[in-house]
Amino acid sequence: MEIFFTQLTNGLAVGGIYALIALGYTMVYGVLKLINFAHGDLFTIGTYLGLSLLTSLAITDKLGPVAGVILLAVMVMCLVGIVGILLDRVAYKPLRTSPRLSAVVSALGASIVFSNAIMLVYGPSTKVYPHDILTTRVLDIFGLPVPVMRLVILLTSIVLMIALYGFIQKTKIGTAIRAAAIDQDAARLMGINVDRVIMLVFFIGPALGGAAGLMVGLYYGQIKFTMGWIYGLKAFTAAILGGIGNIPGAMVGGLLLGVIESLGAAYISLAWKDAIAFVVLILILIVRPTGLLGERVAEKI
Amino acid sequence: MKKILFLMITAVFIFSGLTAGPAMAADTVKIGLMCPITGAWASEGQDMKQIVELLAGQVNDQGGLLGKKVEIVVGDDGGDPRTAALAAQRLATQDVVAVIGTYGSSVTEASQNIYAATNTIQIANGSTAVRLTEKGLKYFFRTCPRDDEQGRVAVKTIMEKGFKNIAILHDNTTYAKGLADEAHGLLKKEAVNIVFFDAITPGEQDYTTILTKLKSKNPDGVFFTGYYPEAGMMLRQKKEMGWDVPFIGGDATNNPDLVNIAGKESAAGFMFLSPPVPQDLPSKEAAEFLAAYREKYGTTPGSIWAVLAGDGFRVIAKAIAATGSTKNDKIADYLHNDLEAYPGLTGTISFNDKGDRVGDVYRVYKVDEAGKFVLQN
Repeated sequence: MEIFFTQLTNGLAVGGIYALIALGYTMVYGVLKLINFAHGDLFTIGTYLGLSLLTSLAITDKLGPVAGVILLAVMVMCLVGIVGILLDRVAYKPLRTSPRLSAVVSALGASIVFSNAIMLVYGPSTKVYPHDILTTRVLDIFGLPVPVMRLVILLTSIVLMIALYGFIQKTKIGTAIRAAAIDQDAARLMGINVDRVIMLVFFIGPALGGAAGLMVGLYYGQIKFTMGWIYGLKAFTAAILGGIGNIPGAMVGGLLLGVIESLGAAYISLAWKDAIAFVVLILILIVRPTGLLGERVAEKI
Repeated sequence: MKKILFLMITAVFIFSGLTAGPAMAADTVKIGLMCPITGAWASEGQDMKQIVELLAGQVNDQGGLLGKKVEIVVGDDGGDPRTAALAAQRLATQDVVAVIGTYGSSVTEASQNIYAATNTIQIANGSTAVRLTEKGLKYFFRTCPRDDEQGRVAVKTIMEKGFKNIAILHDNTTYAKGLADEAHGLLKKEAVNIVFFDAITPGEQDYTTILTKLKSKNPDGVFFTGYYPEAGMMLRQKKEMGWDVPFIGGDATNNPDLVNIAGKESAAGFMFLSPPVPQDLPSKEAAEFLAAYREKYGTTPGSIWAVLAGDGFRVIAKAIAATGSTKNDKIADYLHNDLEAYPGLTGTISFNDKGDRVGDVYRVYKVDEAGKFVLQN
């Protein structure tokens, strides 16, 4: 039983990160019906920018770990958000009226450009975050050893997700985003600046990806320019699992994928971990083709 | 009229380009290098390129081979079998005398048949999977040892440590699985229990699930046959879990980045098998080479595998000089039969009939408290 709960917390911590990245896929898909395959690489950019800022500005030495990491997170999110907007301008906006497949190909191209650009700037070898910033304390919850940082990661992911959900549901701008997601032309007729909405979506999605990147860098320590691909794939799966285009769906999908992977590896087979996760995905899609929480019958790629 | 003129001029340019190509090729001795310039193993590949280009430069400074300059033609295999097949096709059609490379066994395997079909000599530098040289390919060689050799040394080390319950972990790549199977087979004959045998997914960050599962099996020691990024992450997360089981790694964990990833504290005590690291290379040639490398690039080579690519270049150059020919048959015959105890950068080199390097290369290393790799025995 102890092992079960340990594995469950292992899965939830990974799932929180998947969920955070999945939000970026889902937001862009919701508004543009485009799978932004470069999203995983925006996540990688977040990890690398975090490392650069951390080592060059020494924020955590000056402000202490908590305030330092928060400031760092804000800076990384803004920068990655701006990269996201630039990505949209360069790779997607010129293709807005072309067939959807062109934009997908453009996204794959952007992904390759990003990961190789990171390699050229930072070099191909593994980079390592400083080890001593975060606490390595282990809490004892009902006899279960739970590292504090795993809890922090999970909570941060959930807080960011709830904040986003509130923003989309409760604010005027959020309403505009939802309107643009339903029907862009109608939204335009209602006086919504759809281009501005798309720009905002390309800021928020990558910014959350960047935040996830920073968390992965800070916690796991090891970053590599190729890491975005595997995270991107998992998060994409999570988004589909929860119902792409749906924000609570991305959260549920991400957490669920993490837990399925972890328990599948623990109780069935390690080597078949990914296969198990994808079998579950297929089963869910057979029963609910729009994903767990997906409502609209969306056209999928 | 203008159009026809334009077409004619274009045609003339294309033709002159076509004829000039081979004519220019004859002025140099072309040697191919297939290595992962991009992809997950890019740091290995870029080291390989730097080393081979350094050595080629040295040969050219001394007048080249057969009175011609050596030209290195680089093909990027991306550390990926599919990309490797494309790179191999490109290299094989560029008139190269031989191809050096590559690093990963599954990547080399994807290119083997392409080189075999064009009778191109291939000298792999990091591909240790046994079956690569069991196919009877006449033109395939490797400067690295084989996994069965490594498996024997691994089992010897494990038995010396006195482990009774052993866990074996690989990552489903050709190399890691081959080594794990080899060790598994040998350990079965000994009086020990294999309590765990499974594969991880390489390229991930979080291995706590695997470690939690491993821990529940309570092994005395873990033999991990995969690569250094995963080994580093597992050492780090193992420490975080407060679990102090000894880990032994295969030769793919031999990379200074292992300590960077794991942190000195977590890496201390980790043992791995490997051919000697560049700094421990015994020969005079090695000392000169390391000095030249440091002078040109300002650091020492990261791992032994790239240096083995350098040895691949050196034996080719030696064979071309000794036979006075760039014919594949003559060079292959020379490498198989006449190259005896050639002083390479990584010790003496000769090849057997299969194209495998002859001799005892593996050593046991241990990471000390300062994160240095210390040669044991």
